[in-house]
Amino acid sequence: MSILKKRKPNRSRWGDLFVYLVLLIFGWFFILPLLYAVNSAFKPLDEIFLFPPRLWVSKPTLDNFADLFVLMGKTWVPFTRYIFNTVFITVVGTLGHLLVSSMAAYVLSKYKFPGGKAFFTIVVTALMFTPQVMAIPNYLVMTKLGWVNTYWSIIVPAFAAPIGLFLMKQFMEQIPDVLIEAAKVDGAKEVRIYFRIVMPLVKPASLTLSIFSILNLWNTRASNFIYNEELKTLPYALSQIVSGGQIARAGVSAAVTLFILIVPLLFFIFAQSSIIETMASSGIKE
Amino acid sequence: MDKEKNQPRQRKQKKPKSMAYRNAVAGYLFTAPFIIGFLLFLLVPLMQSLRMAFSTVKFEGGIAYYFIKFANFKYIFTVDAEFVPLMLDELWQMIYTIPSIIVFSFFIAIVLNQEFKGRGLVRAIFFLPVILSSGVLVGLETNNTLMQGLKDVIAETSNATSITDVVKSIFFAEGAYMGPIQYVFDAVDRVYDIAMSSGIQIIIFLSGLQTISASMFEAAKIEGATAWETFWKITFPMVSSLILVNVIYSIIDFFVRSDNEVMNHIKDTMTASVEYGRSSAMAWTYFAMIAVIIAIVSAFISKRVYYYD
Repeated sequence: MSILKKRKPNRSRWGDLFVYLVLLIFGWFFILPLLYAVNSAFKPLDEIFLFPPRLWVSKPTLDNFADLFVLMGKTWVPFTRYIFNTVFITVVGTLGHLLVSSMAAYVLSKYKFPGGKAFFTIVVTALMFTPQVMAIPNYLVMTKLGWVNTYWSIIVPAFAAPIGLFLMKQFMEQIPDVLIEAAKVDGAKEVRIYFRIVMPLVKPASLTLSIFSILNLWNTRASNFIYNEELKTLPYALSQIVSGGQIARAGVSAAVTLFILIVPLLFFIFAQSSIIETMASSGIKE
Repeated sequence: MDKEKNQPRQRKQKKPKSMAYRNAVAGYLFTAPFIIGFLLFLLVPLMQSLRMAFSTVKFEGGIAYYFIKFANFKYIFTVDAEFVPLMLDELWQMIYTIPSIIVFSFFIAIVLNQEFKGRGLVRAIFFLPVILSSGVLVGLETNNTLMQGLKDVIAETSNATSITDVVKSIFFAEGAYMGPIQYVFDAVDRVYDIAMSSGIQIIIFLSGLQTISASMFEAAKIEGATAWETFWKITFPMVSSLILVNVIYSIIDFFVRSDNEVMNHIKDTMTASVEYGRSSAMAWTYFAMIAVIIAIVSAFISKRVYYYD
């Protein structure tokens, strides 16, 4: 009954029904992949190979995870090392990306200076380019910098990922100029305005950006620039485990999927209320 | 800045810290880290690949480039049997995918913007595809089997394909004109793909919808506007600038997604046949095509965008 009380006066009961129906149908679509990934991880081998495949697991088992942990113990380098590598790359890369791209986005959206607009156009254009083709040229750059076989070869390029600048600028443009002018009148310098006014206002946007960056870095296999086994990443190690035993490891593969999915998913659950939070409540609304 | 241009006298006074000067300094300092990173990791490699597109690339100790003018481009258009058809196919798919994504994500954003119980949870669910599709599942090659399995499950449970098949056969029997209807069928067949690639667009629309001030709707209501009129006179114009953003984002996302046939062909040419020159030429051709499409589309849409203030 509480739904009826909260209802906006201009929506009929049929309207309510319609909204819920739409949400039910499409919500189901959207949640399906996650359900499937979770269920598969708990399926015994015979259920994984069932055709046509079923969504729900009928005899859940932890065997897949047990197998995975046994295999983890057998790697060259202690498995925690891979985990550390990936965590380090993800955390540093994401923080740096947030700082670098939001700083650029701030001045590009709120200051007029020669070349600013042209630069933004070039960045957005670069978004369209096929990344695979740049593998070789990128490698050459890394060699020149002496960054092959270091974390930096993965972390630093992530700082200047164009997609972050693009999204951040869209959000920053919604901040009223009045707010920034008021701060200037009160004597705040650019750096202070950026940290004290702009960044708190775009918190939802920065969490969205972090999600992308975390997804991107968490999944990086880094096989192009890193050859030292001790510096290799978690997805690389996991994919080595899975590809080691062909079909017999299909169960392990399902467990790996869930394993690698869990961290971005947890971050998302933790951040989602702020991400999709109304911009209105953050003071951006005029 | 514009005012200063109109008044050249003031300029001659050479104020040491004019507004424009301070803006420029702040602008360059704040963008500097990004520009450096961008130049180093995107622009330099980009230019190198452009050079490759016009050369034969050989590995003789180091990398050697032999300048061959347009031979690579001639090859991909005249000899390579796959490239052009793949590209045209991709283009055709784009024409019906992008409008579907925009309409779908706008519709979902409007629904999610309504007041209802459990809104937070539902919004979270609609953001899930972004997590699931951007790399996590695609990143591990082994998960192709997982995605395939998932598609089978969907086909099994939703039967979307078979329903459209039945309806199609009815229409064919009636001998009806199929042109526009075919478009709808194509979109329905791909409804799952469309839903999966709409995550970001939904969020962008949603954040736009939330910035429309409630007083506007109140005013419209007092004036006696119906919900239908309010939608077309307030909601739609107010988010029209985001339609442009979303169209551009969707087009880019569509063309560089990881299961794209053209991209795979480019990659195969590079890794399997070790033809860096040809593969770079393909990438640049593809890039040029996308750029032209985006230029046309954004010129077309931006004329119709309504800017408040």
